[in-house]
Amino acid sequence: MTPLSPDLINRRTFLTRSAYGLGGLSFALLADRLLGAGADLPAEPGWRGTLRRPHFPVKARRIIYLCMAGGPSHLETFDYKPELVRLDGKVFPDSFTQGQQLAQLQNTVLKARGPIAPFSRRGQCGMEVCDLFPHIGALADDLCVIRSMKTEQINHDTAHAFMNTGSIIKGRPSMGSWLLYGLGTESENLPGFVVLTSKGRNGVQPVSARQWSSGVLPSRFQGIQFQSRGDAVHYIGNPDGVCQSTQRQVIEEVMRLNGSLAEEMHDPEIATRIAQYELAFKMQASVPELTDFKSESPAMLERYGIKEPGDGSFASNCLLARRLAERGVRMIQLYHRGWDHHSDIVGGMKEGALAVDQATAALISDLKERGMLDDTLVLWGGEFGRTPMGQGTGRDHHILGFSLFMAGGGVKKGTVYGATDELGYRATQDVVDVHDLHATLLALMGVDHLRLSTKFQGLDVRLTGIAGNVVRGVMA
Amino acid sequence: MNFLSRFLFVACVLPAGLSAAESRLSFNRDIRPILSDRCYHCHGPDGGNRKADLRLDVRGEEAVLVLAPGEIEASEVVKRIFSADAEEVMPPPESHKTLTAGEKAKLGRWIAEGAVYEPHWAYAPLVRPAVPGTSGEHPIDAFVLEKLPPAAAGLAPEASQERLLRRLSLDLTGLPPTESEREAFLKDRTPGAYERQVDRLLASPRFGERMAVWWLDIARFTDTVGFHGDQNQRIFPYRDYVIAAFNSNKPFDVFTTEQLAGDLLPSPTVEQRVATGYNRLNMMTREGGAQPKEYLAKYGAERVRSVAAAWLGSTFGCAECHDHKFDPIATRDFYELQAFFADVRQWGVYHDYTYTPNPELRGFSNDHPFPPELQVESPYLQAKDRRAREALVRYLQETVQAKAPAAKARASWLKDSAAWVKEHHGLWAPAPAEAQRFKRGQTEATGVLTAAPGGGLELGAKARSGDEVKVTLKPAAGRYASLRLQIDSVAFPPEDAEGSGLRLYALIHRKGGKDRKVEVQFAEAKHKRPRYRNGAETDGVAEGWRLPAENPAEPLSAVWVFAETIDFREGDELGLRLSYDVTGTVRFSLSPFAALDPRTLDAPEAVAALSAAPASRSREQSLLLSELWLGSGAADPNALATARRLAAEVRAAQGGRAWTLVTEPAPPIPVRVLPRGNWQDESGPLVLPATPSFLPGRRVSTPESRLTRLDLARWLTSAENPITARTVANRLWQPFFGTALSAVVDDLGSQGELPSHPDLLDWLACEFRESGWDVKHLIRLIVTSRTYRQSTVMRPELRELDPGNRLLAAQTPRRLEAEFIRDNALFVAGLLNLEAIGGPSVRPYQPEGHYAALQFPDRDYVESGAGEQWRRGVYMHWQRTFLHPMLVNFDAPNRDECTAQRTLSNTPQQALTLLNDPTFVEAARVFAARLLTGPQTTDAARLDRGFILAVGHAPRPADRERLLALLESQLQHYTGNPDESRRLLAVGLQPAPAGVAPATLAAWTQVCRVLLNAQETITRY
Repeated sequence: MTPLSPDLINRRTFLTRSAYGLGGLSFALLADRLLGAGADLPAEPGWRGTLRRPHFPVKARRIIYLCMAGGPSHLETFDYKPELVRLDGKVFPDSFTQGQQLAQLQNTVLKARGPIAPFSRRGQCGMEVCDLFPHIGALADDLCVIRSMKTEQINHDTAHAFMNTGSIIKGRPSMGSWLLYGLGTESENLPGFVVLTSKGRNGVQPVSARQWSSGVLPSRFQGIQFQSRGDAVHYIGNPDGVCQSTQRQVIEEVMRLNGSLAEEMHDPEIATRIAQYELAFKMQASVPELTDFKSESPAMLERYGIKEPGDGSFASNCLLARRLAERGVRMIQLYHRGWDHHSDIVGGMKEGALAVDQATAALISDLKERGMLDDTLVLWGGEFGRTPMGQGTGRDHHILGFSLFMAGGGVKKGTVYGATDELGYRATQDVVDVHDLHATLLALMGVDHLRLSTKFQGLDVRLTGIAGNVVRGVMA
Repeated sequence: MNFLSRFLFVACVLPAGLSAAESRLSFNRDIRPILSDRCYHCHGPDGGNRKADLRLDVRGEEAVLVLAPGEIEASEVVKRIFSADAEEVMPPPESHKTLTAGEKAKLGRWIAEGAVYEPHWAYAPLVRPAVPGTSGEHPIDAFVLEKLPPAAAGLAPEASQERLLRRLSLDLTGLPPTESEREAFLKDRTPGAYERQVDRLLASPRFGERMAVWWLDIARFTDTVGFHGDQNQRIFPYRDYVIAAFNSNKPFDVFTTEQLAGDLLPSPTVEQRVATGYNRLNMMTREGGAQPKEYLAKYGAERVRSVAAAWLGSTFGCAECHDHKFDPIATRDFYELQAFFADVRQWGVYHDYTYTPNPELRGFSNDHPFPPELQVESPYLQAKDRRAREALVRYLQETVQAKAPAAKARASWLKDSAAWVKEHHGLWAPAPAEAQRFKRGQTEATGVLTAAPGGGLELGAKARSGDEVKVTLKPAAGRYASLRLQIDSVAFPPEDAEGSGLRLYALIHRKGGKDRKVEVQFAEAKHKRPRYRNGAETDGVAEGWRLPAENPAEPLSAVWVFAETIDFREGDELGLRLSYDVTGTVRFSLSPFAALDPRTLDAPEAVAALSAAPASRSREQSLLLSELWLGSGAADPNALATARRLAAEVRAAQGGRAWTLVTEPAPPIPVRVLPRGNWQDESGPLVLPATPSFLPGRRVSTPESRLTRLDLARWLTSAENPITARTVANRLWQPFFGTALSAVVDDLGSQGELPSHPDLLDWLACEFRESGWDVKHLIRLIVTSRTYRQSTVMRPELRELDPGNRLLAAQTPRRLEAEFIRDNALFVAGLLNLEAIGGPSVRPYQPEGHYAALQFPDRDYVESGAGEQWRRGVYMHWQRTFLHPMLVNFDAPNRDECTAQRTLSNTPQQALTLLNDPTFVEAARVFAARLLTGPQTTDAARLDRGFILAVGHAPRPADRERLLALLESQLQHYTGNPDESRRLLAVGLQPAPAGVAPATLAAWTQVCRVLLNAQETITRY
């Protein structure tokens, strides 16, 4: 027999270090992978994140991402193009489109379509906002609009993956998972990353649970989807015929039984399991309390435009998002599925605006009144924009230039950042790609995107991959 | 202090293991991990990113120059890594990579010792190491004991017999032992008792199901395509193939060849073609606006990643865009590997969109399957088909024929029927018809249909989608059960988009009364093209009759059977709204008869049966008459409903046949190196198939002789290639110890981990290969070792020394995989359905609305009925975008790509699942019923049995006491709340047994919930 080999000794020493937070975050996870059940890592209750201290000053403590799934037109929201008005119905200049990727406009004659609704200058800052969004426009002085976004994926599924994970390779963690992994959660009895979906009337596209997957990060960092039908969270309700006191007794007995197993076995999973049952029980109480809007005044419901509390509408989800934010949830992502306007963009944009404009504005102003907008970052936008060329009565997918806006936590107010060319085709000034956006969001949360990583298949996997520059121009 | 004295200073405080007495450092063990992680990014295999033209992954001239082996004072590397100057220090600060003092010291010492390189362990030739220690020892134990420190004083004691059998059963079959298996083993004191259990379990068909879970993650097996609409794909026969392969102990090299290239084998068997479903398990899309070429590039790249991960334990993914940073995988290797699969027939976008026309996919809708497919016999469905047919015949014979009270009515019906048939020369009476034509959405008729000679109507010009014809039939008075529509002189549409076809909507106009909708029970046609709903062929033609592509010899005919017979009085009319997309002549007839298979009414056999004299009737004729009698409207409606349900079950068995995705070879599409992975950039060179350049025994295509998938498969399992045997042997260790010998099972490259027992791994890999790639042999070796049989109780002195238990001085507890957590709970309850092996996926209870965000098409989730509801987890429907929440919560991967290692989490969602998922609630109440209806007479004895079933041993006295107290309090509670008992006992499909008081059952259910939630139940110790 040989003495203990140096590599094992070494592994032990670095583990000891990582337990005290000196080993770096990716080591901690590597240890998790290497040692499986034996890893001495904090489990979710009290999970404080792998970053013991932020890299940068923390401007935002949480993100509410209002994801306009399907790809809303930038030309009917935040990017007014008089030149496109002039060119309406005429052949779209070849010089713009030659050699560029198209989706459903493949193999067709390209014609310009002017904006379908007028724009007005709003607020002190005078930014142009489409009249379809009067409520959001009223908050212009709180917004930071980026008009120079670009992405790499022209189809919904992959474009969502790119927007959420910075990659189209499967298994990359969603940005909410990264935030949870790096920063932990401030909510004791609720998941730290919550996803809500609502469906529009037209332009509806599917969305996959992959978009809130923790990927190669442990699954405790995955987004938890709240349902509008049945239990708000899967399996949160007691079984039929089991009252709260019976449930409590069962859970107590499970914990006790596990406790007596722990006396026999040295298995750190047992202690974690006991803690998880306690947390599960607390969640069973806190989720119904969260989703019960009784404590909200009728005026509040009206302000958000909620017809039926808890009906799964975008408006109802916006109020739920505020309640989640109040309870310290790190990342709240609302999908509104209704922006894929290949046809009838006139009707589609109206419907879309009707569904989200008032509620979005209510959420922002509500947060502001509660003093929460200062450390809550609201992000509004789709996975891509739409072509300045018409497609029948609508517009096709477009990736070379589109708009989104941010508000709150550390962003400049009343600001327009970047620009597209005169036809809204290509982002030309201060171009922001998806990696830049991610780097910026992380920076606002106090995280250096280069230093939030995990080891997977030998690589330091990051949200921003090997790219990403923080966009200082949008930061206050 | 100059840098050398600094180095010497650091060298004095080396970590404990690196004393001067230690033998020389090993490059693979000590140095490569450091260089790979901190240096290779800029000084590694990737030429595109190399700085200062220096690479340190090989001992080239420049490397020797800067390393200065043996002369640390002259070493630029030593100088740089110890430098305090931010401009000079390596790695540079902006890389965010730093070396610890210990690592710097190691590098210094390695250079001082001569900077000796070693080939990377995983790529080095595979040579069988000598087994250390005394002969006669189990080889695995010999290798493990050799590495144990003296402090360990040998292996841990053996686990108790009860724990050992539960461990072995769960590891080999995913199921715990039955009570009798447990008793038999505990009693068996003869030598070889344990080994006999190993043999028994390896021979169990449950072994194949267990191992399939292991392989299906790697093969990325799913029931859906993954991208966008995530439609269903038909593939379950591939899963059956995998299960059967493990059960029959198919050699792993054959298993490899069949999956990658079964279609290229000489005269491939059906089984070999089914195996090639492997190549089709990449994600696919049918999203509108997707570019076929882009998606073909995505599919091709995924295949490289999956094949490399599955068989080479290597991470090729990075090489799609650039040379690998850490491993010698060049971009060209990536595309050369991809080129092997360039002949796999596949379409980038599975649709014929107008902007991306694809005539090969003409008529596809979102509901269409994903060809190429092969129709095969499914043993599971064949058995189901046989059972269903037998049940139907039995029912017709026993219930219908034997029903004495109806005998008189039946006899008189038979007589009347024979007369009707004689009068009408068959089963049908033509119905005179007239018809008006309507444009889509308009209420004013735009014309009438011309009468055709012989009573039919000319459909005239092909209708546009949404156009309708309103037909009025004026039948003679009488009772009718079915409607027939015949069509001839069909001019077939050139484009027949799926979803159209011929549909009808029937109303009865009572003379002087209100219109009433006629419900159609079922409709079927002899000649038709399939229509699909969510990837499956629709049952019958009631939702649309898609006419065949050519006119058959006989007129086309379809029969609609009414849900109930209709009595027509004089002047009553039958109104039909007809939408269609063909031209031709249609004829309508009505029949007083209804058959379970409507096509029977078109067949001469029916006329013969009705006309035959009672004495001369054959058995078949008698059965047919029973069927017709049931449908006549005069018989028992409940009996008709039962017969129709049984007939639907026969149809559901699909004649024992099923479709499955397969690989069909096609002329290879050109594959070129894509600069930075950009599919639109065609400037890269074209490549031909070749095995990776950095691995031994390389095979390369020539322009004259292109290598095939078969060549790839043969090279993978060739004697020259060392890495496949290492990859698989390493991965086969993991299910039995929780952690593989090289823990990062998906990366045996330089960023992975040097195995904890390198010689053991190489020995196992050799044994695996030289045994003829015998999987069961390797597993038998592992589980018969003393190392495997150790207790999981780790000795305190070792916890400190070896917290990860990598020295294997104890067993490691292992939480069960999601599928086996389910299987175990259902098995313990006595609810698990183990009747059959294989078959289509099943759908356990799932929270409503889980698929609400899925579209194209919209998705219903129809839970499987009793029986199939309780099949094993390996058969669960695997929806890539919305995996079943129970699977998600217990870390099952969505299998978008090859997944060799599941993450292992411990979350509140797991607690919520075990507590509240109806599957586990039902299991608890069925478990309770099992205990209450067993032979035990006291609650304590029942509880002891419950523990033995759930965790394999009797409770500790304190646990017994507490759970009996819980039982007592719950009994009181449920006695006072009968409504709660009733609701609890209604969870799930399995009925509660009669004769057990509901309150008692409900109270015991709570005790059983505790047992099913216990950590020990979901863990194997």
